[in-house]
Amino acid sequence: MAASSQITSMEVKTSKGHLKVHKMKKKVLRKQVRAQHTLMRHEGIECISHPTQSLVIANAGLGNGMSRQQLLRIVEEYGLVETLLMPPNKPYSFVKYGTTEEAKKAFDALNGKEVTLEDFGQNIVLYINFVEKVFWQNAVPTSLPPGLMVIEKIISPEEERRMLESIDWIGDEDTQNAQKTLKHRRVKHFGYEFCYDNNNVNKDKPLPGGLPEICDLFLEKCLKQGYIEHKPDQLTVNQYEPGQGIPPHIDTHSAFEDKIISLSLGAEIVMDFKHPDGHTVAIMLPRCSLLVMAGESRYLWTHGITPRKYDIIQASELGQKVGTITADVGDLTLNRRETRTSFTFRKVRRSPCNCIYPSVCDSQKGQQRQVQPSFPHNDMEASKLEQEYVHKVYEEIATHFSSTRHSPWPRIVEFLRSLPKGSIVADVGCGNGKYLGINKDLYMVGCDRSKNLADICGEKNFQAFVCDALSVPIRSGSCDACISIAVIHHFSTVERRLATICELARLLRPGGTALIYVWAMEQEYKNQKSKYLKEKNDSKDKEEEINIGGVQRPLSDQMPDSSSQDSACSDRLLNDLNDEGCAAKLVADSRLPVHTNRTSFHSQDLLVPWHLKGGTKKKGESIDTVSSPAGSKESQELSPVFHRYYHVFCEGELEAACRSLDCVRVQKSYYDQGNWCVVLEKL
Amino acid sequence: MKLLTHNLLSSHVRGLRPGGGFPLQIQASEVRVRPVPFNAAFVARLVPRLRWAALLEAAESLGHPSELPPEPAADYEGDESFLRRVHHILLEVEVLEGVLQCPDSGRRFPISRGIPNMLLSEEEA
Repeated sequence: MAASSQITSMEVKTSKGHLKVHKMKKKVLRKQVRAQHTLMRHEGIECISHPTQSLVIANAGLGNGMSRQQLLRIVEEYGLVETLLMPPNKPYSFVKYGTTEEAKKAFDALNGKEVTLEDFGQNIVLYINFVEKVFWQNAVPTSLPPGLMVIEKIISPEEERRMLESIDWIGDEDTQNAQKTLKHRRVKHFGYEFCYDNNNVNKDKPLPGGLPEICDLFLEKCLKQGYIEHKPDQLTVNQYEPGQGIPPHIDTHSAFEDKIISLSLGAEIVMDFKHPDGHTVAIMLPRCSLLVMAGESRYLWTHGITPRKYDIIQASELGQKVGTITADVGDLTLNRRETRTSFTFRKVRRSPCNCIYPSVCDSQKGQQRQVQPSFPHNDMEASKLEQEYVHKVYEEIATHFSSTRHSPWPRIVEFLRSLPKGSIVADVGCGNGKYLGINKDLYMVGCDRSKNLADICGEKNFQAFVCDALSVPIRSGSCDACISIAVIHHFSTVERRLATICELARLLRPGGTALIYVWAMEQEYKNQKSKYLKEKNDSKDKEEEINIGGVQRPLSDQMPDSSSQDSACSDRLLNDLNDEGCAAKLVADSRLPVHTNRTSFHSQDLLVPWHLKGGTKKKGESIDTVSSPAGSKESQELSPVFHRYYHVFCEGELEAACRSLDCVRVQKSYYDQGNWCVVLEKL
Repeated sequence: MKLLTHNLLSSHVRGLRPGGGFPLQIQASEVRVRPVPFNAAFVARLVPRLRWAALLEAAESLGHPSELPPEPAADYEGDESFLRRVHHILLEVEVLEGVLQCPDSGRRFPISRGIPNMLLSEEEA
């Protein structure tokens, strides 16, 4: 390793001096090697011993307070900087020079060099290593949480000043003292007092005076523009000094109506939104901007402000740019915080909340526990069951669900690839659009009952729409083919399941084909365990955890549940098959059992748990002696359990249902990884 | 929503007369034109599947008059300039925001971010 020229210049011409220098050289070398090991062990970054164009600089990262501007100035001195990558929240960065010589120059000059961080006045020591190449996996650009809007320049700087001046912070002494000691953000309420014990308002005791007059004009404007539907009757003013924040939370459903608006004054800030499945979106809120939270962003996502003294924002858009902050590591820098004040206007809710996010709704949570779903006896009960235990669930888990559905199944791909060029194909129950892009020679249109899943298809630029599989708004006979993968098993009566098959047949032109996949009761077939069961033995995860950050591990889509070998169904003639036939039929009037994941199915009709767990994000370890500034504390993970209704099919049951229709003939019937499958041809 | 998709969509409100509910009238507030690689064989295969009048009407309503004849000519398969015009109107013009209206019941279905929401309520289905 090249010695630091710094140290060389400190050489003193005495034997004692030589010894001293030698010791310092060794120290730097030791720390440099230690940095190497940390980078490899914790970050998977391999440092190499021979010079290249690319360097990794430990202790010069966004995660430990180095801004892009300062680092660029430091490294530019030694040559032409081709790339500067600063991964967010990491205590290191990468730089690539035009030539190896320049990189070597930088290495010699900067390894072991002490530097003062501009924004913080702290001193740190840089340790440099060569790397093969500079590379960082950029995150997929994030979109705004649904229902969220940020409107820039909604008030003028003059109006901002007047509103800030109008706040009279002198409250009672106790509160003031409490605030000082806790270094807590300052808060003031109007209209109704917000109680932090139960995160609700006392609806029977309004505060005298109502909302300050100075807000009237502004609120009129918001009403007119449609940002709110009703005039708010509650206002909370929050003031955040640098280093202050507010923990992630959802505004209590039962306390306030849907649309909540928040005006940002005095300074810009970054607010973090987090979905129950763990993924977060950082939103820049400029001064004089209005944040509107509605729908999903109001009811399901948590929002919070990390208590810190700077935010990470996009360097190229300095000077306030609304919207999400994408993790483009080639373009991030630090932004110092200043005092920011928010005016959050809300309308107090007078009736219980009836949103479609019951797992996070205080009005509905109580109810959910009481109701134990049972086997439906008529179409109305069936529809209600499916609404609670299929539709609502998929809306809530859509993003997480989508991330675990990425590997197309080979035999389905085969079916799609066998279709002639220019075929029109409908995917009924398309989910996240997994199959819509498989064969470019087809025109595929997907539809799904879940708006959130259909939206995901839209984001991928696929053709999709929202509808129910029982009533598909496509004209009869217009499709050359259809697929319906893992859909029909969500319908809770024989009649409804048959009706969905009829719909598929209706869409087909004569000669057209449909491929149907449903979950099989028999998860172990011909002595072969399905992938689901196999994975149970391989993985060290608990039984319950089926759906773990799917992107890393290709998981079988279906949760394994093998049928016990007693399937009396298998020998029956197809015509004899009806619900009574199957050995494991659920006795009417009994409750639907909750299945234990990755075990055999003991009933054809059941509820299968889905655990929403946040994706784990590894915290970057600090390298050597420098510690990262206090990062955001992980909020308490919301890990609700959802139950989805399934009717798992016995061997022959799907085929029998299809054969009962006159308009189709069964071309093929087979078993594929825990599913019963059928190819139909329209006559 | 591309116009080919629109050509397939039909209102499914209960109680419509046979053949009713088609074509859905488009009221678009945001339309996008996005190039798509042209494949003559692909387009030629689609032509006979289309409801031609509905396609022309849809293109007009979006302010993208298609310069297409009232009916495809008998030898359309070999006519590249015709196929290219069909390709453009079917696959390159997309409605991102707007409404689809059932011509018989008047029921309106919103289109948001390119995705129509055709879901009916319990009573309507």
